[in-house]
This record gives sequence, structure tokens and C-alpha cells, in this order.
Amino acid sequence: MIGKLKENSVFIISLILTLLFIIWGVFFTENLTKVTNIIYNGTINNLGWVYIGATFFFVVFSIYLLFSKFGHIRLGKATDRPDFKTPSWLAMLFGAGMGIGIVYWSVAEPVTHFTTPPFGEGYTIDAANTAMSYTFFHWGLHPWAIYTVIGLALAFFQYNKRLPAAISSVFYPILGDRIHGPLGKTIDILSVFATVFGIATSLGLGALQVTAGMHSIFNVPNTLLVQIIVIVVATIIFLISINTGLEKGIQYLSNGAMIISFAILLLLLIVGPTLTIIKVFFNTTGMYLNDFIQMSLRLKPFGEGEWIASWTLFYWAWWIAWAPFVGMFIARISRGRTIKEFVIGVLIVPTLGTCIWMSIFGGSALDMVVHSDNHALAEYIADNVSLAIFTFFEHLPLSSFLSILGFALVAIYYVTVADTATFVLGMLSEGGTLNPSNKIKMTWGIIQSAVASVLLISGGLEVLQTASIVAALPFAIIMLFMSYSLLKGLTGELDVQRRKSRVKNNV
Amino acid sequence: MKLFQVRKGQFVYYENELHRVYAVKPMYKKSVHLIRLRDLTQHLSSAAEVERYQPKELDSFIFNKKVYTLSKDRRAEVGDYILITNPTPDYLDHYSLNEIEVVATVENKGVITNNSNGIRHHEYLLMVPGRHEKSNPIEYRDKGSNEDIPLNGNESENIGVDDLLPIIGDVYKKNDKETTLEAMVIGIEGSSVFLGNGQSLHQDELMDTEKWLFLYHLGDK
Repeated sequence: MIGKLKENSVFIISLILTLLFIIWGVFFTENLTKVTNIIYNGTINNLGWVYIGATFFFVVFSIYLLFSKFGHIRLGKATDRPDFKTPSWLAMLFGAGMGIGIVYWSVAEPVTHFTTPPFGEGYTIDAANTAMSYTFFHWGLHPWAIYTVIGLALAFFQYNKRLPAAISSVFYPILGDRIHGPLGKTIDILSVFATVFGIATSLGLGALQVTAGMHSIFNVPNTLLVQIIVIVVATIIFLISINTGLEKGIQYLSNGAMIISFAILLLLLIVGPTLTIIKVFFNTTGMYLNDFIQMSLRLKPFGEGEWIASWTLFYWAWWIAWAPFVGMFIARISRGRTIKEFVIGVLIVPTLGTCIWMSIFGGSALDMVVHSDNHALAEYIADNVSLAIFTFFEHLPLSSFLSILGFALVAIYYVTVADTATFVLGMLSEGGTLNPSNKIKMTWGIIQSAVASVLLISGGLEVLQTASIVAALPFAIIMLFMSYSLLKGLTGELDVQRRKSRVKNNV
Repeated sequence: MKLFQVRKGQFVYYENELHRVYAVKPMYKKSVHLIRLRDLTQHLSSAAEVERYQPKELDSFIFNKKVYTLSKDRRAEVGDYILITNPTPDYLDHYSLNEIEVVATVENKGVITNNSNGIRHHEYLLMVPGRHEKSNPIEYRDKGSNEDIPLNGNESENIGVDDLLPIIGDVYKKNDKETTLEAMVIGIEGSSVFLGNGQSLHQDELMDTEKWLFLYHLGDK
């Protein structure tokens, strides 16, 4: 009995922690909101620089890996070759990395920045340019650098060092066999905890948007109750899919989502202001690259850091909380690729992809509000963020067709993310096994929906943002150590390979 | 068989021999792409030319020049070959019907293979080396018409694998975490092979990729 308890300690402790959080949220909602706000303010004032510094470091580190002497190391055995063709590999990792969020924010973010820019006057041409370059910044190199580091570390220790698919495995060069002891378990517990919040944030945003979509298409009331019903229905759907053989259906759905995304993108490019979109893409890419370092390290030591906290820090925290989930997935589909290929495929290409996506959505939305000087529309979008994309579609040709496509996309993303998240949580909490039991998967399924509901009940979007900033902080620190550990592991691998080639050359 | 009945992974007979479908390309004239299990060579065919066979317990067949019998008697152990007859892949898995994989780790609920797939115990049949006496050989649909190739289980000595056999000057690496031993073949007598480190072993053992990895041939440098 005690042995079994020990074996499942990661699952049990992380479950208790999240349950405590849920109980707190359900019975002491006011208190939860108050306390998270206190921690939130404390974190952004005192520890905001940790997020800023850490994420910037991940970008630098990933670029270093791209050009380093490790570039030729292959993830897996020297004879392994990739399981997936490069285009489908890129499509899959793009979907996992951004998926639900990019649909939610691609219209809302540029327009909101246009009304309240990080600096300067709102509603001006300058504000529109700043809005676009900050959108690129939040969705560009930084998130993908976070995924690159964690994905690469997981893949390397899984395939080259043959360790289990757990976050603690990554610390083998630092901790040695202690990764199986309490220290390793603590790392796994923190990663499960961060992941639950990352997923709950995405599910919360997803529920907001599914409800908004139903509101704009079928006129269903856009209220908290409906949002909770959406979560409950989705939970039932994926619980059924875990227990029957419907998992395959989910896979087809997620492929369908990719196809719908590309269809919407292409359609928008054609019916939207095509020339403006192209100009926005080039102009913003230039601004983004030019201001990259300044934006990356921007803090307000002598003023209010409210804007940075509610945007930049929130995104960095959300990406980090979401990273174990995405990293696990990217690692799994990347076996057989070299480190150079991996960094190009996970850092550079998806960044380009997000920039194109943001130019098409954000560019056309800004075009709408800037050219017609439609301040009322801009304000409406900024105030009703979850409705943003549907409001935007209403002003385009083929609007009802686009709305239905958009709604289908969000709904599919929601169910697939929820379903796959249960698998990854099961895996992380059972010591990296690839066969998590259905009971544990179902438990996480219910828990993640409960956390999302609690967060929505206790204050909606703001609390979602606050909670992920708080929950991801320990994991941000863990990821810094992870980079060091990865570097150590790679250096060791290089020694082994150098010995081999020396033998070869001598022959 | 009609084209819409052919699926990736199915075992089929083509020209009387057992093959596995590895791809179906409906746009091509030769739409069914097969791999012959006996020696893992590729063949192109059309749906009309193949006939499906569903493997079951106690069937025996030749896979990559060795005979195996399908069994459910015990759970798979590390190093065993398994045939995935009932695939229900999870989110991070990448396998399909009738995939043959090697077990890397055994857990309570299932096994993890060398390809990092998590496979539950009810999803696979174990491939036991050798031909069980009660087994039903399935490598030919019409037994007897291919009498030139015997079914006695010593296929490795009969079937043309000459180009794969170790020759003098081949460098092999021991596939083992503990050592970094690399050795060259310096002598061959019949089927025994002598390595530069003084070791001698059977050629089949050297060709077992679980134990030894071929690195390169001296003459190819």
C-alpha cells in the first residue's frame, strides 16, 4: 500500500494541490480573487523582471543552439529518420503551440493595443503600427523559443539518453539518480501544477469564445452560466472519447481544424484588404526586428507597469505554463531530426507563420478601424474581447460563412486540446509512462474543467491571467535550470561522438 | 479484393506470399504498396491482385528471415517482438494496424517500444521465435507451390542474405550502454566470426541489431 502510494506520489500530491485550489475557489471565491490579486501585484512589481529576463534568455539560447557545434546532433539514434514529413510536422507543432489562443487574440489584441497602446496616444496611425509590432512580439520568437528549449530538452533526454518522458528526466546531468527521488518528484509536481493552470487558462478562453460564437450565430445569451454549460458538455464529450475508441475521431478532428484554419486564412487574404495585409506584414516585421531587444527587455522602473503586466507578463507566463504540454508533443513528433533542423522548425518557421497569421487577421481588423476612423467599433472590440473575431467577421463579405467556420474551428480546438491535455497530464503525473491509465486521465479531465470553471466564476479573463502568472513562476525558474542541464547533456553527447569520429579517422 | 477494402497495415497475400500493406495510393495504377514480410522488400500491386488475411494466435510466419509464432501465452518482455493486432493509439503514439515493434520497457498496463509508443497488453500478440508444433504456417496461401523455399525454421541459412553477412573489414559496435566497444571482423570460418578484440561468435548474433550495430566497412572509407 505504502509502496503504491510512493509510486503515485506525483499524481496524489498534485491532485491534492489542485483540489485545494478548487475548494478555495468554490467556497471562498472573494478571498481567492483578493489573494491572487495580492500575489499578482507582488509578482509583477517584484518578479516581473524574472519573466522578462528568462524569456529573453530562452530566445538567445535557442539562437545559440541553432548556430552552435551541437547543430548536427540527431535526436534519437544515428540511424533514426523523421516519422513525419516536414510540412505535416510543421502544421502539427503550429497547431499545438498556438491553436486555441491565436484564434482568440488575433483580432482582439491589435485592436485593443490600438485603443490603449503601450506608449503614445491611442487611435493614431502610430498606435496602429505599435499595436501590430507588439502583437508580433507577443506571438513571435519568445513563445517559440520557450517551446524550443523544453521540446529539445525532452526529446534529447528521451531519445538519446533513453530516460522516461517526464520533466524530471531533463535534470539527469545535474541531479543524476536523484531524479527518481523527492527532488525529481517535486519538479514533476510543479510541472503538473503549472500545466493544469496553462490548460485551464486555454480552456477558460476557449469556453468564453465558444459561448461568444454561439451568441453571434445562434443568439444564445452570452453569460457565465452558458460558459459553464459549455465546459460541462465538452467535459462529457471527451470523457466519453477516453472510454470508447473515439480517440481516433479526435485525431481526425484535429487534422480538420488545421485545414479549416488554412481555409479561413486564405479566404481572409482574398476578401480582406489584400494589399494592406502585405504592407502590414513587411512593415511590422521590420519594426519588430528593429525594436526586438528594446521590446524584449521593456519594464517601467519609474512608472506604472500595468500594461506590461496585463499583456507581456501574462503571455510569457501563459506560454511557460503551457510549455510542458506543447514540449511533450513537439518532442514526440521530432524524433530523427537534427538539432539544427529542430530549431529552424520550432523557432523560425512558426514565428514566420504567426506573423503571417497576425498580419492577415490583425492587419484587416486595423484597416477596418483606422481607415473608416471607426472608433466605436474599435472600442466595442476592445471591450468584448471574446466576441472580437465574430464582430470582425460581420464586417466582411461572406460574413455568416466565415462566422460558422470560425465557430467550428474554436469548438474543435477546444475539444481536442481538452482531450489531449488529459493524456499529457496523465503521463506527467505517472512518471513519464506512455500508457497512463484511463482512471487518471479521467480524473485530470474533470479537474482541468473544474479549474477552468472556478477561474471563470471568480472573475473571468482577469483571474485566468492572474492565476497563470502566479502558477508559472516556479516553472520559469525550473526552465532556466533546464537550459543548463541541456547544455551539459549536449556537451557530453558531443564528447561521445568526437571519440567515435577520432576512432574512424585513425582507421 | 476491392480497393476501398484495402487499409494500411493489413496482411495480404500477393503472388501467394504474405505481405503487409504499408501504403494505399488510390491515384496510382499500382495503388497498393506492400512490404514482403519474409525479407522486407517492397512490392507494388493493385487491389485486385491481393487477398486479405487476418493474423491470429498460433499463426506462424517468417519476418525478416526469422520464423515467429504468434502467441498470447505470456506478456511481452524486454527485447521481444510484438505484432500490434488491435491498435488504439493514444495522443502521442504513432503506430497503426499490424505494426511490428520491439519492446523497450514493460509496465503494468502495457509496454513501451523502441519507437516510443505506449502499447497496452490487449493490443498486441507476442511473436515467439521459432515455429510452434501446433502452429499454422501462414507465409504462403497455397502451401506446396513454393517448394523451393523450405518451411523448416532455418530460413536464415537458406535465403539470400549474402550481401548482409559480415565480411572481413566490417566494423561493429556493441549495442550496450555499459561499454563503447567497437571491433572489426578479422576472420570468418563457416558461420563463426572472429573479432579484433579476440571474441568469436556466430554470425547471426553479430547481425542481431539489438546486440551489435554495423558501423561501416573498412574498404568503404
